[in-house]
Amino acid sequence: MFLPDIPELMIWAIYFAPMVSFAVIACGITIPRMGFQARHASRLTITAIGLSWILALWALDTSIGLDGESAGFAPHEWLRLFDFEVDFGVQLDSLSALMMFVVTSVSLLVQVYSTGYMHGDGGYARYFMLMSLFTMSMLGLVMASSLLQLFIHWELVGLTSYLLVGFWFHRPAAAAAAKKAFIVTRFGDFFFMIALVLIWTKTGGIFDITEINALAAQHQLSDAVLVGFVLGVFAGAAGKSAQFPLHFWLPDAMEGPTPVSSLIHSATMVAAGVYLLARFFPTVEAAPGEVTTTIAYIGAFTAILAASMGIVANDIKRVLAYSTISQLGYMVMAIGLGGFVAAIFHLFTHAFFKSLLFQGSGSVNHATNTFDMRRMGGLRTAMPLTFATFIIGSLSLSGVFPLAGFWSKDELLLDAWHHDKFLWMVGTIVAFMTAFYMFRVIFLTFFGEYRGGEEVDVGHDVAGPPHESPRSMTVPMIILTVPSVLFGLFALNGFGGFIEGTLPEEIRHFKFHMDSVVLASSTLAAFGGIGAAAAVYLARTPKPEQLGRAAGPFYTFAAGKYYVDEIAEGGIVRVVLHRFLGRWIAAFDRVVVDGIVNGTAVGARRIGDIARRLETGHLQAYTSMSMLGVVVVIIVIFVLSGNVLER
Amino acid sequence: MTVDLAHYLAVSGIIFGIGVAIALSKRNVVAVLMGIELMLNASNLAFLAFSRFSGAFQDGTEPLAGHTFVVFVLTVAAAEAAVALAMAVLIYRRRETVDLDRISVLRW
Repeated sequence: MFLPDIPELMIWAIYFAPMVSFAVIACGITIPRMGFQARHASRLTITAIGLSWILALWALDTSIGLDGESAGFAPHEWLRLFDFEVDFGVQLDSLSALMMFVVTSVSLLVQVYSTGYMHGDGGYARYFMLMSLFTMSMLGLVMASSLLQLFIHWELVGLTSYLLVGFWFHRPAAAAAAKKAFIVTRFGDFFFMIALVLIWTKTGGIFDITEINALAAQHQLSDAVLVGFVLGVFAGAAGKSAQFPLHFWLPDAMEGPTPVSSLIHSATMVAAGVYLLARFFPTVEAAPGEVTTTIAYIGAFTAILAASMGIVANDIKRVLAYSTISQLGYMVMAIGLGGFVAAIFHLFTHAFFKSLLFQGSGSVNHATNTFDMRRMGGLRTAMPLTFATFIIGSLSLSGVFPLAGFWSKDELLLDAWHHDKFLWMVGTIVAFMTAFYMFRVIFLTFFGEYRGGEEVDVGHDVAGPPHESPRSMTVPMIILTVPSVLFGLFALNGFGGFIEGTLPEEIRHFKFHMDSVVLASSTLAAFGGIGAAAAVYLARTPKPEQLGRAAGPFYTFAAGKYYVDEIAEGGIVRVVLHRFLGRWIAAFDRVVVDGIVNGTAVGARRIGDIARRLETGHLQAYTSMSMLGVVVVIIVIFVLSGNVLER
Repeated sequence: MTVDLAHYLAVSGIIFGIGVAIALSKRNVVAVLMGIELMLNASNLAFLAFSRFSGAFQDGTEPLAGHTFVVFVLTVAAAEAAVALAMAVLIYRRRETVDLDRISVLRW
């Protein structure tokens, strides 16, 4: 638009800059002779991601100039084995350009924030190494033109998420959470992989995403294939984007450092699932209606389920985690309803304000050494900057006019209003709950009396009265308020048209409009939620405890996280996998596999025991045996072929 | 009576059998070596006989194939006798015996 078109090489540079940073830090950590110091790691990471950010801006500018249509860079051969050929390339269209922009901007700010939050941590260099790797994987994921390329980075994202959530691996809770995050998302990926193989076999080896979408849109794939593929992709997306029933890893993943959550559990990794569905949107649209309806209902159910758990959680970060699940549920619902623009728009605005909120919770944690809201309170005077930015983030998330969250949520609810009134009602209730739990957090954390905090924990050096965080942490938060407030206005400025540029002409149907019912109800829900939270947690009429008692079993269920963890761990893992499957597999391993291995060894020794008796040491015994051998050979030859001499 | 291949082979076989019998039955290392020499010479005789009665000798294409072999066998036998007798002397010096039944240390 303003700049000349970006060359392909520069897009690759967006991807390779963090990779170089990762490689250099990795070498620096492993080779002591390089004289690499921890502070170099953060500088290098910030420089690399800053470079990526500038190039991503250029890419976004180019993409806007192309009205969001694909820039059409030809893929390159990456692997060829006989007939099996895999091409890798970069896809530059509205979707990937926007995602690159989101990923690099949030990542850049999070890195700056991390220099303050992780200051003095023993694993400082390792932390930035992993952050570089994560950013690289995420960028690779969004710019991939081939399904296999996307899948590789998808798994890389999962791996780095595991390493980052388990960053403080010496804490058992963090190690367990990392394992849980990895295994649960991997469970979804298993189905994604099946979908990948399915599409590969059914199309005769096509991995190119655009081609797959075109085939699906032209109805060249049978319904069975489409259903299998879309459901497989959705299962993968549900794992990464924490959709029911694979949602329970995300709250536990809060054990990781807060900036990690701010990056990967708000804007990038968890958004990857929604991105994947959006990337295959033409295919999803081509699938039978029941499939998209299922996706929409799962999304809506996740949204309301997670919101209800968010209301009762006492850990500030977990509330944000549930909120993320809930908002992702919104996006998935929108995809299922055909609201491509709404889903991506919400993904776009949510990335910024949720990242801001996570950073706010990290800042609070920095001051009080706890995430438990029951031990906070009254922080608004001690931490005015954190308080102000947190309020803005919460207002945006609650969907208050004219902040970013308002526009995207409105778009989303509008799609629901047009397609399914029931889902619209669910969505509006969730909007109410969202406002309620966010302002519950604010009233518990920033209002009232300070309730003590906690003693010094790993990686932090503060105790005593709470104080404002260092500038390296507050500045990113202040910067993040800008998109949280303003980016919703893109709705008025042709955002929908730009984003739909990636879709084929036939399925573009976005028109910006507003509906007074939807508008009024969602605004009412937002203010209602805020008011209710104020009544309960500020004025304390009714008291929260009374409310909990009144709700009775509902409260118990929600506080117990609906026992999904127990069902998954106790029921599925312990009983089905361990008792049933595991026992048989272990028995097979012990009896058959070990039997073969040990049997070979034991058999060889037995035979050796017998055979070594022949070694008598008597020369003439050996000679006799060899003579006997000659005689036997001669006899055999005579018997087999008659008299040798007479032939 | 003409002397043909079978007669030569019979003599060769008898000498070989005597050699085997000596090599297997004698306890003295030197006697065993003598038996081995007999076996070697029996095989030499067989080589010569086969060579003489083969088609290649008759039509003159390869008249001396067996003889070449015999020369090699003789050479190797001489070398073997030298080495083996030297070993026998060394074994005797160390163990004061050349009785094969008492030299059976390389066993399980």
